[in-house]
Amino acid sequence: MQTFTGLVSVLLVFLWLGGNLVSPLRPICDLRVLDHFVREARDSEVIMRGCRGGCGAMKSYFVPLTSVDFAVLEHMDVNGQAVEVQTGLSLLDQALNNAMKTVSNSPLANALDNNISNIHSLGQILHSLDLQARSTVLPDDSAPASTQTQEVSSLPELLQVQSSFLRGKVRLLLSAAPACQRQNS
Amino acid sequence: MTKMRSNRLKIVFMLCLAFVTTGGQHFESKVAQLLQDETEHIKCFVEGKDLTCFWEEEEERNHIHDQYTFTYSYEKKNKMACAVSSLYLLASNKTILFCKLPKTPFFTTLDVQVLRDGRMLYTRSLNAENVLFLDPPRNLTVMSSGKEGQLNVSWLPPLLKYMDDSMIYEVRYAVDGSNMGKVEVIKVSTRLVLLGLQSNTRYKVWVRVKPDGVAYKGYWSAWTEPVFGVTPPSDVDPLIVLLVIFIGLILCLLSLTVILSHHKFLLKKLWPDIPTPEHKFPGLFTVYKGDFKEWMSHNNGSMWGRSVPVYTEELPSPLEVLSEVSLTSHGTSQREERKPVEEDEEKESERSDSGLTDRWRDPPHAHWLMEQLRALQENPESRSQSSLLQSHDTYVTLNQGDNEQQVDDVFEETLPLQTLFTTAGTSSLGTSHSDLGSLQQSSGSGRLSSQSSFEYPNHTWPPKGPGYAYMAVADSGVSMDYSPMSSSRISCTGPIW
Repeated sequence: MQTFTGLVSVLLVFLWLGGNLVSPLRPICDLRVLDHFVREARDSEVIMRGCRGGCGAMKSYFVPLTSVDFAVLEHMDVNGQAVEVQTGLSLLDQALNNAMKTVSNSPLANALDNNISNIHSLGQILHSLDLQARSTVLPDDSAPASTQTQEVSSLPELLQVQSSFLRGKVRLLLSAAPACQRQNS
Repeated sequence: MTKMRSNRLKIVFMLCLAFVTTGGQHFESKVAQLLQDETEHIKCFVEGKDLTCFWEEEEERNHIHDQYTFTYSYEKKNKMACAVSSLYLLASNKTILFCKLPKTPFFTTLDVQVLRDGRMLYTRSLNAENVLFLDPPRNLTVMSSGKEGQLNVSWLPPLLKYMDDSMIYEVRYAVDGSNMGKVEVIKVSTRLVLLGLQSNTRYKVWVRVKPDGVAYKGYWSAWTEPVFGVTPPSDVDPLIVLLVIFIGLILCLLSLTVILSHHKFLLKKLWPDIPTPEHKFPGLFTVYKGDFKEWMSHNNGSMWGRSVPVYTEELPSPLEVLSEVSLTSHGTSQREERKPVEEDEEKESERSDSGLTDRWRDPPHAHWLMEQLRALQENPESRSQSSLLQSHDTYVTLNQGDNEQQVDDVFEETLPLQTLFTTAGTSSLGTSHSDLGSLQQSSGSGRLSSQSSFEYPNHTWPPKGPGYAYMAVADSGVSMDYSPMSSSRISCTGPIW
């Protein structure tokens, strides 16, 4: 009995250590990473403009809102921003994946694939800054999803939204991340 | 109380006015610049956080505000209106109509429209974050860094939140008074060190700013007011100057020492002496003033040894003319001649080496001979004897060879003489031998071998007293064979005939 309890306690200790050993990722505060993603999103827009044939079908996509009101932003807390960014990134990921299915032009397809991987990387960055939303539940459940999203009817519009979203909301969130503020100060 | 209140209000009003005017100045300058640069009908820019769109009023039209309507929409929302204002630009003498959006949405596509009397005049789609028109940087300072040709430039970014890390700066600098300027571009950082400048020169520096183009885009701001800075003078370390001077002095001293210690050698190399033969002829130029004859006469024994001295061409070879007639008629003179000859012969017997030398040295012999010749010519009777002269053909040859051989040759040649003068006695022959022997030169260099051919007339010589050996030299044609002689031998050779 005593050996059994001893073993259990040892196991518990190990479990506790195991849980805590997963140390938080080092915060990625360098905005040049995001700038790289922004440039690649812009490259997709350029390829889209030059695409002739196999450039995706006319389809509606649900995409996040990209507009930023600085006055409103100053009053918004970081967590709220983080939630907004997280949902928006997931929406974009979904939309891009849907768009890729209709694209046969290889340069465009490669560019889209690149954008999708960048969005995944952004999720990791947010995780490193401890800004990943712990729940996908929106703060205001009563508000319809449409207030947070908009509908676009073509791939060029989708790419434009992606570009604006990354440059605006995502960037402002990363620059305002507390983990990075602590580093700078 | 009321006075204080009114004063305060006035101050506040003045401050507000000042603020507005400064802002207005910036605004006006921006408008003026965009009016020239922007090609779109609706010209928009973001100043601070507010978007301003303006357009130029057509001159024909009357200046009425309410004709114009400005609307904007974004994210497919309803159109919103914006109040239109007018502004008269003094510089360009133009009127513009503008609208400031109260709440400017960024990172979204804005659709703006200008309506005149309800009809659409201009339309444009833009993103607000792409038309940023920043204010120029603040607090530009230029300071000397202390190092040669360098200036430290620093400034503050324009007052804008969220965009500090997205700015790019351009620094322009030029020598004060010059139009040639250089430009340096720097990202994010608000400090710059200018390198490669002229020392002790006054420079003018300007700075302007623009969004870097990744997250935000826009136009170049206006240049700041120029700020002056002076570069430090070129620092020549006094220690280095002293060291250089010191080393230079040491090198000079060293070179002087070397030159002085070897000045003779150097002089010889640079200004070589013209070689003179003075050392070979001691006293020739100093004592005898170049008179070679004198020098020779005094330096015979020492210089030439036993060699035959050099005679000038003027000294003729002794010529003895023999004739019977002359013997009898000039018996006395012959006797006179004999006497000195005897004396000479005796001397020669003693000095076997230099026998001929004495003979050749006596010019009186030559003179006497010449007289005899003249006498002969005057007396044709004695011509039979004088035929001896004519027929004779004596030549002297100089040979290099064996002395003894030469002696033998000489002796062989003298055989006819011997046979002819047997009655003369051995003494004369002996003397003749000695005479002939004296022809040799003990030095071993060029020898005189006399080869004389005699043609004697039928009559024999009348023996007169002790036999005298006379060498009849009728012809002055003397041929000499020279064998090649070394330069050292030349100095020792006797008279060359």
